[in-house]
Amino acid sequence: MFDVNKIRNDFPILQRKVHGYDLVYLDSGATSQKPESVIRAMDDFYRNTNANIHRGVYEMSVESTLMVDGARKKVADFIGARTEEIIFTRNASESLNLVMYSWGKDNINEGDVILVSRLEHHSNLVPWQELCREKKAELRIIDVDSEGKLKIVGGEEKLYEEGGLRVRLGSLDKLVDAKVKLFSVTGASNVLGTLPDTLTMIRMIKERSPDVKVLIDASQMVPHMKVNVTKLEADFVAFSGHKMLGPTGTGVLWGKKKILSKMRPFLYGGDMIGEVKITGSTWADTPSRFEAGTPDIAGIIGLGVAVDYLENLGMDNVREHEKELIKYALEKMAKLEEEGLVKLYGPRDIEERGGALAFNVINVHPHDAAQILDSFGIAVRSGQHCAAPLVTSFGVPAMVRATFYVYNTKKEIDYLVDKIREVPKVFEV
Amino acid sequence: MTDYKDIIIDHYKNPRNFGSLDNADISMDESNASCGDMIQIQVKLSGWIPGQARNDKTVIEEMRWRGVGCAISTAAASMLSEKIVGMNREDLEEFGEAGIVEMLGGEVNAGRMKCATLAYRGLLKIFENNGN
Repeated sequence: MFDVNKIRNDFPILQRKVHGYDLVYLDSGATSQKPESVIRAMDDFYRNTNANIHRGVYEMSVESTLMVDGARKKVADFIGARTEEIIFTRNASESLNLVMYSWGKDNINEGDVILVSRLEHHSNLVPWQELCREKKAELRIIDVDSEGKLKIVGGEEKLYEEGGLRVRLGSLDKLVDAKVKLFSVTGASNVLGTLPDTLTMIRMIKERSPDVKVLIDASQMVPHMKVNVTKLEADFVAFSGHKMLGPTGTGVLWGKKKILSKMRPFLYGGDMIGEVKITGSTWADTPSRFEAGTPDIAGIIGLGVAVDYLENLGMDNVREHEKELIKYALEKMAKLEEEGLVKLYGPRDIEERGGALAFNVINVHPHDAAQILDSFGIAVRSGQHCAAPLVTSFGVPAMVRATFYVYNTKKEIDYLVDKIREVPKVFEV
Repeated sequence: MTDYKDIIIDHYKNPRNFGSLDNADISMDESNASCGDMIQIQVKLSGWIPGQARNDKTVIEEMRWRGVGCAISTAAASMLSEKIVGMNREDLEEFGEAGIVEMLGGEVNAGRMKCATLAYRGLLKIFENNGN
């Protein structure tokens, strides 16, 4: 069902060498590699079809419009949504900001509460910090336990007030009341791989605040497992195209039509208007209202082909493959941990985590570890992974992170583990 | 492993001028947002009257530093703490990123320049916020 060697042949970049070694790409959490079919679709577009969409009656413009419409349909079907609910953005950060600007500015008022978690990527934290400060609303943050799982009940509650922003940190149970207007949470941590039980949390929140809107940052979810937006019980879902085999410059926001229809535009300009007069303008309906200007046409077409590729593999198979990899990696890394060579972060139960593996090599700074691994052709990320409040809660300034995807193999994990052993040797004099 | 020359490992394992100054004229903090590295630098100056602006006659006499960082940022801070004694503003600015790269053995991976220049960026602050 899942022949990883066959899959690897579809990704031209996996043939390249890095410092003379075969590339071992373990940073798909930052951006995934692209299969030949995606690269070719974009190349074909520029060679044979290139024309702006929604602008012309001539053949090529009609063709490229149909291609973008087709990609939108593919993305919609992929996540169980309607096409008019799919908004193309540059990336998930832009999708999240769109909700902040177009929905948040009009719907969050003084005294309201926005609820997030400590697992959030900066892009699902900073926009809400800024909105809360501006609106005199309160930001509440669900804390994590020592395994990086969200605290649901119990524990201490902390209150911070700094620079005009009020922040409450604690377990979910203590943070939820009728004032919560937005719950914006990650579906899968980009650092620890934690898969929070969003459904249980959403239901718990709705009991106390029935009108709460729910936004799920699914950037690390949609590329890695079957996602159906209806089953998520969310109002908005944001994700990136470039983390799911699609090109950079592509992201998606899904929103419920009845909410999107009441939202103000995000950016103003071409293609998002209804009628324009000297004295004022009206807005197009969704999704055009939120897609001002010429979009990344080639990128969107590439994203559609990436969806085809994933559909062809089957998202349940993708998840199974990654579970196998992370299980294998955890077992191997746990041995290194027993030897006192590394420290692992994040949940140990495979069912509760995705394919992100955060660790540190003992007594070696993560940047040094990552650079030494790079010298063997291994691409891992080091730093705070755009999640500083999460990383530092473990008492370290930074972590190394390996993330897995469809083209990664157990052999690569063996190689990683092998080379981690080399890291401390560099500093032995 | 071209970046990890013996001199870097030496300064990383035995950092020079690590600690704090009891009678520092100025303290500066500098950090790298993406990796969480932080450094505090303290210096003694000459040719400067407290409360007045630092000028061309202001010279760095002594530097101490402390913080958390990787091998590259630690070694760079340690080596800089020796190099910059006797430098004035012009000398420091002239030293520049090229001076840092040369000091670290002539080669720094582009992805590590932020690490390499952490302490240097802190030092440049001596001549900003003048009068503090």
